[in-house]
Amino acid sequence: MLARVANNLFWMGRYIERSEHVARYLNVNYFSSLDAPNELSQSRQFVLRSMLFMASDPVTDPNIELDEGQVLFDIALNKEKPDSIINYLQYARENANSARDLISTELYESLNKFYHYTLNYSPEKFMKSGLYEFTVHVAESTSILRGKIRGTLLHDDVYSIIMLGINIERATQIIRIINAKYNDANLAGGSYGDHLKNSYEWTTLLKCAESYDMMRRYYKKAPRSLITLEFLILNPNCPRSIMNSLNQVSRHISDLSKSKTPDKNSAEFLVGKVRAEYEFKLIEEIEEDLQGFIEKILNTLNDIAKKIEIEYFL
Amino acid sequence: MKLNTNQPSFSSYKRDNHLFDEIFTKNDEVKEVYKTLLNLYSEHSIQDYARLNEKAKASFFNQGITFQVYGEHETKEKIFPFDLFPRIIDHKEWSHIEKGVLQRSKALNHFLWDIYHDKKILKQGIVPLDLINSSANYLDQMQGLNPPGGIYNHISGTDLIKHSDGNYYVLEDNIRCPSGVSYVICNRTALKRALFGVFNHYQTHTVTDYAENLLEIMESVKPQGVDNPTCVVITPGIYNSAYYEHSYLAKAMGVELVEGRDLFVENDFVYMRTINGPQKVDVIYRRIDDIFMDPLEFRPDSTLGVPGLLAAYKLGNVCLVNAPGTGVADDKAIYTYMPQIIKYYLGEEPILNNVHTYHCNRPDELKYVLENIDKLVVKPVDEAGGYGISIGNKLTKAEIEKVKAVIKENPRKYIAQPIMSLSVHATYIEDSQSFEPRHVDLRTFCLLGKDKSFVLKGGLTRVALKKGNLIVNSSQGGGSKDTWVLKK
Amino acid sequence: MALNYVIKYAATNTYENFVDEALWQFLIAPLNAKSQQVISSEFKNSLHIPVEKSINGYGFETFRVHPKKRFKSIDFEAEFHVIKDQFNPFEKTSDLSIEEEISELNSLNFKVEHSAFLKSTTLTKLPVSHEIDFVYDEEVSIFENLKNLNNWIFDIFSFKTDVTDVDTDLDMILEEKQGVCQDFTHLFCAIARSYRIPTRYISGYLHQGNGYFGDSQMHAWAEAFIPGCGWVGFDPTNNLIAAENHIKVADGKDYSDCPPIKGIVYTSGKNHTKYSVEVHAQQNAQQ
Repeated sequence: MLARVANNLFWMGRYIERSEHVARYLNVNYFSSLDAPNELSQSRQFVLRSMLFMASDPVTDPNIELDEGQVLFDIALNKEKPDSIINYLQYARENANSARDLISTELYESLNKFYHYTLNYSPEKFMKSGLYEFTVHVAESTSILRGKIRGTLLHDDVYSIIMLGINIERATQIIRIINAKYNDANLAGGSYGDHLKNSYEWTTLLKCAESYDMMRRYYKKAPRSLITLEFLILNPNCPRSIMNSLNQVSRHISDLSKSKTPDKNSAEFLVGKVRAEYEFKLIEEIEEDLQGFIEKILNTLNDIAKKIEIEYFL
Repeated sequence: MKLNTNQPSFSSYKRDNHLFDEIFTKNDEVKEVYKTLLNLYSEHSIQDYARLNEKAKASFFNQGITFQVYGEHETKEKIFPFDLFPRIIDHKEWSHIEKGVLQRSKALNHFLWDIYHDKKILKQGIVPLDLINSSANYLDQMQGLNPPGGIYNHISGTDLIKHSDGNYYVLEDNIRCPSGVSYVICNRTALKRALFGVFNHYQTHTVTDYAENLLEIMESVKPQGVDNPTCVVITPGIYNSAYYEHSYLAKAMGVELVEGRDLFVENDFVYMRTINGPQKVDVIYRRIDDIFMDPLEFRPDSTLGVPGLLAAYKLGNVCLVNAPGTGVADDKAIYTYMPQIIKYYLGEEPILNNVHTYHCNRPDELKYVLENIDKLVVKPVDEAGGYGISIGNKLTKAEIEKVKAVIKENPRKYIAQPIMSLSVHATYIEDSQSFEPRHVDLRTFCLLGKDKSFVLKGGLTRVALKKGNLIVNSSQGGGSKDTWVLKK
Repeated sequence: MALNYVIKYAATNTYENFVDEALWQFLIAPLNAKSQQVISSEFKNSLHIPVEKSINGYGFETFRVHPKKRFKSIDFEAEFHVIKDQFNPFEKTSDLSIEEEISELNSLNFKVEHSAFLKSTTLTKLPVSHEIDFVYDEEVSIFENLKNLNNWIFDIFSFKTDVTDVDTDLDMILEEKQGVCQDFTHLFCAIARSYRIPTRYISGYLHQGNGYFGDSQMHAWAEAFIPGCGWVGFDPTNNLIAAENHIKVADGKDYSDCPPIKGIVYTSGKNHTKYSVEVHAQQNAQQ
């Protein structure tokens, strides 16, 4: 496979995944804030700031009055904004275009249809009544794309590269979401006694990661900070967890490298090292300095992506 | 069976006796090969047909089988309009076409070899030296070079029309990077899906064997000493209007689709950058023009090409398909010498007719052209895509004067031909929701390799969707039809 | 008798900012031919990048340098040893009569055979706007006429650097009446071709021991094909018939077919190039 095309496929995977997380973040935060138990969590300005914090550039100046329609439009459909969903899909499609001879017609067709749906989605409708419909459509379409990737491509190098992109992006987005909700929880405080630990924002966090139901099933408890973080970061069976993403990255990179003993400067070695570290990590250790952890894991994910780029895409 | 204008779908079908109708005879009889088809169509209502038409269009769009139209302000993604009414060519007629286009391709290959080697045809004055000297597409760098397998025009696209006399005429030979073959295959797929009930009443040759034949042709011209050649398709990139075709061909052949930046030359061998390191490339089907191929030799600002590619080619380490410098032979001025070229190299009479051509650089012919401009089509010698063509009987008096002035300014640049009346074929017209006659032509695809040749049994029937329009190019609002070549 | 030449070529390219990607092709190696024999050829660069030998589009030997790492400055150094036969260029004139020469020029066979060097190119196109007062004398041979042309250019035009550059067309040169060797060679080619004499542009080195113009740079002159005789070199810059002082590198229709260096460099900011050529000769009595 051509190095350039591998790079395109990697980024196709990343952009597809990114668009989903951003869409769901909009959806969950907007709708759960409508009947949130505390005043701040219900505040429009609070929710819009949270969205910008996660999806693009945070607005910290408290004197700025954000316009709801504008914020939603910017994140979802504004072609002028590089970090809007519509642009992510355009990038994904362009990346797919240059790898068109390698991917299935079915995958391309689904992505193309999805792109045109977004392109033709009327901004007026979106702002008036379409927020729910649009974001759900994005999430569902990405699911279809993942299905086509798994179900219609050869499980060879092409597949490994796309899955690398998807999983690195997923870990990145989950961390970004944790970061944003941790920030919200800090600002909002809990509703019952212990502020941070019992914040309503932890529920929203799980919903943003589509993991609320499974977390309830696993712990049989209401979400509190510790178990929420444990579930989303360390549980290898939670499909959205960092651990699971790292496991996937590890699997696909070893499929790709085909080497038994990876070079210690390689991406494969780094992934293995990070995995080993988190496999036996206690959530209590992470909670002590969550902010530090978030920065560290984001940097690590970045390093992995850089090493992949140098090893495979140049 | 006769043309029935009482049937709603044919209510606006106005047959013109001056034109050759592909479906109906002068007595409104349905021609033999179309009888079954029209019978089956009459079972469908025009609404059914309209629905199928919409579905086919949506399928093209969703699959991204589109091309870009560059407007003043924005670039639009459009599908190449597709007509569900197929064109049918019977066995006998086809075998005439097939022999004819193969003959032309071979003659052109001989011609290219000659003008890049001994130039006998020029020395004998059969083709004027001046035509070659003044051609921007003649590459001095190709002089004396022996392309692998002795092939220059591996891929030729010959455009044919049927005139009102019922005979085929060649309009032009395209031997640089003829495009359109992916549409032939997409049209077939779309038609089979929409009208499978009709399709299985006919014994039609497949068109999906094009890619495998192309790959065989490419492999046949591998450089010396290579056993299993690595073939690639090189494209200018995703923004090129024919990108879909490039990706289709790469995919169908199972070879990499590369851009210039994926390739590099080291010690006169060509490599592509893969995830597992450099891999040598042996045969390149190039869909970029000569002048963009190698910035060290041609346009230095080209980022589409590969520096050092021409040297690697000259040294025989890689094969380029088609060879550089083929453009000199599909020049419209050379076209007019095709009958002589065929006779000279093959010792045969041309199988397909050439349209009579007046050369504006010859004073007596220029005089005729200027006096009879209303009866002629005037074309620039070196422009592709239907640009700069004027059709005499469509011009106002003022326009005629303008065209005359333009020709007089630079007679060498123009040729003129009698207005050929392209045959017409029933075509679904969305506005009237019925079938109407529209002008069609036919692009054929011929492959030449080392000891091997192939003519695609089918072709791209291009149709001018605007009423009375003779220009069928997609950039000028043309569409296309599936073309059935019958086995018996 | 033969002359032993040592030719040294040196160039330094410096850039304001890092160059991420670059590729150069040098067309500077003397041609190995009957009258000039290349004994040794060496090409080095300061970044120790392996030098690839290749050819240009017309088959002349080139050096290619393709750095794989970024850099801001690079030096190139080449050294060639050449043995050049000494001969009297005036001996080598045509045996044909004037009529025979002309009839050969007019034969289709001849025109086709030499068509590449009979075409006018962008750089050798004679402008219609300028009267050219060089007159071809039909009473004398082609060789004599070309000598006259050489002389005419030398007389009318003066050597001056920095007035013209490699893209300057003849219109400008005829207007300014000054230029450098490339320009005079282009003019020579253009006029000779207008009389149907095949003429090619030569890039090479001039041994400048006698104070000829060509000043520590690569030189250019023309070669014309004279029926019955073959290619004869004319150096209009110095009003010479090219002989043992002219060491040929490559030929082409004009400068653009054989520039000494072609480069594709990706960088921003300013860049600076300087280069020099030295040609040393010694009489070689043994040969």
